[in-house]
Amino acid sequence: MGVLNPAGALTLAAIAVLVALYLLDRRRRVVRVGALLLWASVPTAVLERRRFRPDPLFLLQLALLLALIAGYLRPYVEGRPLPASAGRLLVVLDVSASMQAVERDGSRFELAQRRARALLDELPGGDEAMLVTAAERPHVAQRWTTDRASLRARLEALAPLDTSTNLAPALELALGEARARPETRLAVLTDLAPGDGGIAPDDVQAFHWIQIGATDDNVGIVDLAVDQPPFQPAAAASVDVGVRNFSASARRTTVQAWIGGERWVQRDLTLAPRSTEHTLLGAPPHGGILSVGILGDDALAVDDRATGWIGPGAPLDLLLVTDSQDLAGAFGAIAAAVAGSRVEVVARDRYRPESLTGRRVALFDGIAPAALPPAVNALYVAPPPGNSFCPSTRAYEGAAVIDWEPAHPLLRGLESLDAIEVPHATALELAPWADPVVLAASRRAAFPLLLAGERDGRRIACLGTELAAPLTSSDALPLLMLTLGTLRWLAEPFEGGALAVQTGVPVSLGPGPTAPVTGPFGGAGLRIAGDPAVVVADHVGTYRLGPPGGERLILANLFDERESDIGRRGATETAATRVAPASPLPARARREIDWWMYAVGAALLGLEWLTWLRRRDRVSG
Amino acid sequence: MRALLDPTRLTRYDGLALGVRRGMGTRPGDRRVPGRPQPSGIELEAHAAYTPGDDLRHLDWNALGRLDSLLVRRFTAEREVIAHILLDGSASLGAPAGDDKLGAACELAMALAYVALRSGEAVQLALLGDATGHAPLFRQRGNVTRIAEWLEARRAEGTFAFAAAIEGYVARHPSPGVALLISDFLVAPEEIERGVRALSERGYESHLLHVIGPAELDPTRAFTRAVLTDAETGERRPIALTDANLARYRAALDAHLDAIRAIADRHRATYGRLVAGAEVVSLLTGELARAGVIRRR
Repeated sequence: MGVLNPAGALTLAAIAVLVALYLLDRRRRVVRVGALLLWASVPTAVLERRRFRPDPLFLLQLALLLALIAGYLRPYVEGRPLPASAGRLLVVLDVSASMQAVERDGSRFELAQRRARALLDELPGGDEAMLVTAAERPHVAQRWTTDRASLRARLEALAPLDTSTNLAPALELALGEARARPETRLAVLTDLAPGDGGIAPDDVQAFHWIQIGATDDNVGIVDLAVDQPPFQPAAAASVDVGVRNFSASARRTTVQAWIGGERWVQRDLTLAPRSTEHTLLGAPPHGGILSVGILGDDALAVDDRATGWIGPGAPLDLLLVTDSQDLAGAFGAIAAAVAGSRVEVVARDRYRPESLTGRRVALFDGIAPAALPPAVNALYVAPPPGNSFCPSTRAYEGAAVIDWEPAHPLLRGLESLDAIEVPHATALELAPWADPVVLAASRRAAFPLLLAGERDGRRIACLGTELAAPLTSSDALPLLMLTLGTLRWLAEPFEGGALAVQTGVPVSLGPGPTAPVTGPFGGAGLRIAGDPAVVVADHVGTYRLGPPGGERLILANLFDERESDIGRRGATETAATRVAPASPLPARARREIDWWMYAVGAALLGLEWLTWLRRRDRVSG
Repeated sequence: MRALLDPTRLTRYDGLALGVRRGMGTRPGDRRVPGRPQPSGIELEAHAAYTPGDDLRHLDWNALGRLDSLLVRRFTAEREVIAHILLDGSASLGAPAGDDKLGAACELAMALAYVALRSGEAVQLALLGDATGHAPLFRQRGNVTRIAEWLEARRAEGTFAFAAAIEGYVARHPSPGVALLISDFLVAPEEIERGVRALSERGYESHLLHVIGPAELDPTRAFTRAVLTDAETGERRPIALTDANLARYRAALDAHLDAIRAIADRHRATYGRLVAGAEVVSLLTGELARAGVIRRR
């Protein structure tokens, strides 16, 4: 046992300070009071200078101080000496989407796998090796082991993912292992150049950098945008497909689109070297899963296809419960403008639950009925205080929208809400079933203005402001668009929506079923974890979540131009020019226990606090 | 001392006004005082039988035509009300040092002066026990800065006889008004009663505003064993705060507070308490508003 910071012993002088403070506190104190009038009934005490007689509180403080000083000295205990090791090899293997690019001798991943196998085979017997994969996140495929068979089996079981490359965390992990274990050699197999690893140039020199890949032959889909106006049929939707040629020579290709498995349209494209072309596809025959692919033979297939979603586009079919003639008139005008729409207006006192028969969506203006028929989604506008669906806390004047959740499907197609001013707003109470979609603020506080969620098998939205007339004026237009977006979200069927994600990027899944999963790799290309659930797609494609009939769609695409840009200067190997700097002390040889000292200090602090509380309670009776 | 001229703090008192029930002055002013009709004014309040010498312009000719009797109109009195803010500036306001009772008292005085000026009353500030410690009579809202300067210049020092100081003040200001007496009331209840009686006998509407320090409510904040020194007399008393002694002190404090409240009740005065360090606006809009001292405009 020893200490790493002997100079820290100087802090022992703090003990003298503590004793001095204690003695000072024990001195006869003089306290000025306003008057002795109230103390007349209290008998006088004999106060004398007292000799040093420590109480439990002082002893606890002393112990706490000693524990902190002990931690500052950085004590350690000698551990069992490490067995002498001949050497170690840590292999970082890039498994990102670009490693699927096909070269003359096979895919980049296969070439890297082959080279890694050779490195492991060259390792003398008894040496340890470790395997780390790098894609969007690092993953330890195999911890330190001398078992060659196990290493080889893990290496053979690896497969490239359809995600972007983020090499730096894996390299930092490798450097950390090398610092903790001297004589560790580091090797990285990737299609990125040493300068693109995202770590400091000095640290790059610690790696045996094996770069694989040369071809730039790739044409890929880099963007897929579906624009569908609210309450319009699927035929009104348009699809914008962005296709980029990443190679240095001109290419011809064909864009094909399918909807629900039926072939829809085909367009020929001529792409100049390293250029992007957008093609607009209009008037789809019906809604459903949109699949877009490009024909032609290139080195990287993962970005040759993309998926999207065209909704069925149900018209506005609304029961409006209001006493406002202006609101009724505004929605009447909207219904007249949108073909096939139907808006029925019912006065508040004439509303009966039977009015909702056959309806999908209802808008309650200033009223919140206690019960709703099943399968009816509802928007509560300016809900009255004390209702059970959308309880509110207090009213605010002169509020404005300050923040919103742009990823929420309710706000799909709404670019910005920052122009919305709300003269009279009600702060809605957060409920476990609802997400705050739009937040507003007045001079006094910020509060949820629009809540949305699923409750008792139906969708509910609450808007904490009234829809004041004229609703179709330019000032009220953003609020009207927000209301229509909410109604569209309420009207669309549960199973009809789809969540578009980018591979490798975690996305909140929201309420709904999370299992079983079907899709690419038997559903294994999609990982779901956490509460609330978060989803990460490792492979592109269409996934279905939940039991048949109530499935949710997850559409995963790559859409990463950096990943699709696969052109490299050819295979090169750069040997490591230095060994990764090791820790001043071998981690296992000496085990520092300073944090234990700090933990003891924290415990003593808590104990001292409790003692002080008890004493205070005793004194104050 | 707190920064008294803090706009963000002062604007919190906007919309408040003094609720005056008595203490009507003699000088014409803006405050309408129902129940004391006078021959001239703006708002008709009552009729009275005509007596020779009444102004014929106020004869109600309609009443004469209908009732065949001579009646003259009487109008609601409109008088100036002076808010006398009497501040205890003795050395006891400065002890215990950590409580800053004087700061709290000045902030309360500033708030009351601001409210009074904004509701159209005149404000007379005075430091009790110091005949020269009077500010001029303020009638304009723009005098808030001068009031703040005057208050910030006050120091907790010296000693004075509580009752004699109030008796001297009312003798110098015979015209009644609203007396807002801000003190820590660390004097014998008999002294307090004498002072309050002097105010009520002169027709003042009295409000006793008690500024008390947190360490006075809970002396364990300040010490457990100490020699206590009276800030005004210098008298010393060694005290050990044992459980029994603390109980005795609390009993004495409760009895003293009850005595002050009883004095207020006997003389139709209002009693309000501000713990130093607490928000003044809470006292104004809470306890004093409930008692009718402060009302919403």
